[in-house]
Amino acid sequence: MTTAPPPPATLATSPSAPPDGGSRSPRLLLWVALVFLLVVAQTLLVVLTLRYEQGRAQDRTDDQAGAAQGEIRRRAQLVLQGLQGLQTRDGDSTAWPGLAEALLRSQREIARIERRDARLQITAAADSPFHPPLFQRMPRAEMGLEAEVACGIARRLATPAFSRSQFVPLSSGLGVEVVDVCVPVQQAGELVGFHVATLLLSQWLDEARGADTGRSHELSFVEGDGTRLARSGAVRGAGVYVAERVVDLPGSPLQLRVDAAERAPSLIPNLATALVLGLSIALFGVVLLLVRDGRRRAAAEEALAESLGFRKAMEDSLLTGLRARDRQGRIVYVNPAFCRMVGFSADELLRATLPPYWPPEHVADYQRRQAERQAAAVADEAPHQGYETVFMRQDGERFPVMIYEAPLVTGTGKQTGWMSAVLDLSSQRKVEDLSRQQQERLQATARLASVGEMASLLSHELNQPLSAIASYATGSLNLLHAPGLPGADPAAPDPELLPSLQHALERIAEQAERAGRVIKSVHDFVRRRHQAHEVIAADLLIESVLPLVRLQARKTGARVELDIAQPVPRVKVDRTMVEQVLLNLARNGIQAMEADTPLAERVLLLRVRLAPAPAAAAGRWVVFSVIDAGPGIPADVAQRLFTPFFTTKPEGMGLGLSLCRTVVEQHGGAMDFENLPARPGNAGGRASGTEFRFTLPLLATRPPPG
Amino acid sequence: MASHAVQPLGIPVVYLVDDETVVRDALAWLLRSRRLLSEGFGHAEAFEAYLATRDLAGGWPDAPSCLLLDVRMPGTSGLVLFERLIERGLTSALPVIFLTGHGDVPTAVAAVKRGAFDFVEKPFSDNALVDRVLQALEASGQAILQRRGRLAVQRALADLTDREREVMERVIAGQANKLIADELDISVRTVEVHRARMFEKMNVRSAVELANLLREQAP
Repeated sequence: MTTAPPPPATLATSPSAPPDGGSRSPRLLLWVALVFLLVVAQTLLVVLTLRYEQGRAQDRTDDQAGAAQGEIRRRAQLVLQGLQGLQTRDGDSTAWPGLAEALLRSQREIARIERRDARLQITAAADSPFHPPLFQRMPRAEMGLEAEVACGIARRLATPAFSRSQFVPLSSGLGVEVVDVCVPVQQAGELVGFHVATLLLSQWLDEARGADTGRSHELSFVEGDGTRLARSGAVRGAGVYVAERVVDLPGSPLQLRVDAAERAPSLIPNLATALVLGLSIALFGVVLLLVRDGRRRAAAEEALAESLGFRKAMEDSLLTGLRARDRQGRIVYVNPAFCRMVGFSADELLRATLPPYWPPEHVADYQRRQAERQAAAVADEAPHQGYETVFMRQDGERFPVMIYEAPLVTGTGKQTGWMSAVLDLSSQRKVEDLSRQQQERLQATARLASVGEMASLLSHELNQPLSAIASYATGSLNLLHAPGLPGADPAAPDPELLPSLQHALERIAEQAERAGRVIKSVHDFVRRRHQAHEVIAADLLIESVLPLVRLQARKTGARVELDIAQPVPRVKVDRTMVEQVLLNLARNGIQAMEADTPLAERVLLLRVRLAPAPAAAAGRWVVFSVIDAGPGIPADVAQRLFTPFFTTKPEGMGLGLSLCRTVVEQHGGAMDFENLPARPGNAGGRASGTEFRFTLPLLATRPPPG
Repeated sequence: MASHAVQPLGIPVVYLVDDETVVRDALAWLLRSRRLLSEGFGHAEAFEAYLATRDLAGGWPDAPSCLLLDVRMPGTSGLVLFERLIERGLTSALPVIFLTGHGDVPTAVAAVKRGAFDFVEKPFSDNALVDRVLQALEASGQAILQRRGRLAVQRALADLTDREREVMERVIAGQANKLIADELDISVRTVEVHRARMFEKMNVRSAVELANLLREQAP
């Protein structure tokens, strides 16, 4: 690893990265560096592995070479010793062949032993029994040169010497490489002859190599130029792992080459390499996958967090209250707007078994309603339109809300509960109330103003002529009663008197006529209103005042019920006036229930019925009834109820009922009222309400169409 | 005091300010039947123009008079005219009786509190109105006489010489002639002469009368 490439940091921070590349280029560089490093590491690993393998093979070859070298030397030594052993018994020449024979048998690489005299003449020779005789094809004399050279060296140095190798052709057509070894024979310090042994190089190698060496390595003697002289071994060398040793035989060194049969390790069959490589690639792949997966996951998480955050922000900033309930009606989710609306915290709402924002007086109602809705949902008829109801804030304040509820259905189509959007209507209602009150006040003011204006106008118009009449009349009387001017004859009438009186009386007549005109104009006005009468169905009359009545009723929690006879009767009336009557009666009824009537009983019933006319009149009546559930009308009040300017209300004018009666009577109807009998269970015998009735003549008409 | 009135009061006059000709005419006729003179004006501006021709500083009205004033009129209303009369200090010599229609009663009551003589609601009980008019004329006459007396005393005081004034101051203080003579360093006789002349100029006969006159008519 010392040959590692420049550290990746250098690459990553390389200034060659484009400055505007942002995060992309550095990341790319990092990736390149990582891949590069991995490739380098991988390559190194493979190279080192191969090198190790090679090293081991080479070592083995070297070992074999060393061992073979040693063995060859040892055997050379043995040959030399054997040759010298022949010399010791020189005196007995007869024994020589036996000794040579023994030596030849013990040292199988020796093909022939010769005994020569000091002049190098062969005196005796013995051939190995293991080999065919060497010098049959070519006589020994022709091949003796190398031996003589060796002997010359041996004589000169007085030590054994080996000759150069030579090729000896055999009679079989082949040939063998041999080397001669010449051992000087000395007797008493004087050279007397030589022993020359001819060694078969191939046999020598065969003897020198171990048993198993031959199976894995090829041993051979080579010349300096690489020419192989002899070889041994069961296998051929591959020429990859080669070890050469010089066997320095005296006189002629021999080059030993050990060549392993093993070839250079190839990449694929190399198990370790394959394993490491495969694992590394797998690891790399896994790392890559992990990184990709991590990046995808991070991106997904980021997107999820973003969308969650957005959704949360949306829910939090929503002004509409959101509420989710499970199938048992327990709250499972509320948004902050809902919490703000009812004033309870989300925890409180989620813990509560009964919604704390239900007003206590309505709990039974609401539970029934919820049960109904659950039943409807089972039948898959859950209503989707909104409904209005009343909730309670934490401080006990009731406020109207609009609820839009829909079943909460999961992706698998299973309904798990309900989701509701809740709108606080109180501010809207307040505005409505305010504008309605203002409108009513305005109308009342306008009516009052017009009444006042009318009265003022009338009184002025009538005052003038009446004043004048009174003045003239009084003046005339004064004149008639007055005594004459002093000095005039009391008996004789004043000559001025008659013209004066005439003048006055004319004026009186004039002014009386003027007053009459004023009265007539009032009559005309009333008649004009009468002509404005229109034919209208009774239910239309009621419907047109119903919104106002309901508004008023909602303020006190009262309900408004209708009961209209079918077919709907029709009347001919001054619509505005009759509507005003209905409105007045309804308002009175609602106000009557404000104080003492329990909330559940606050019902205002508007009823329209047909009744036979009193005997005197023809036709039939339409009876309008406004029935409240209030405490009834006390007897002392009842007597004066229709008296103008009588009122029981602090800010009332006392004109309502008397005007109502006037209007009804102008239409030819009648108006009365009745306290309803007390309910049996009602303590104190108090009335259970009041019915105000007024009648209008039924328009005798064709039957209604359809 | 009437005994020494320099000039008798003139014939009483009733001024009528009402936009309704008929009412004005009727009222004038009624007043005439009680032998009262009246003069009618159709609107407040006309009456003010009439006032401008009178010598308000020189003691107008010189005859008892009263003003019947309609509250509601087009143009300058009765109330505005009344305020102007108050500014000129005429309301004692020219008492104002308001004529009100329906609904004006509170304004009329407020006006009475500010110094109007009375108010009468239309339609009015006529002779009762004339009776109130007579009372108003009486009050007017009283006021005129009072004013004349005051003017006379002021003129007399202006006529006195210094010495006579000195004598008068001491006479009112109740000093005897002798003491006055000593204080002024003149003879008793001279004091008596001054005193007699002063009495004559002030149109009194005794010191008591003089004291009363000065107390009543003091400016």
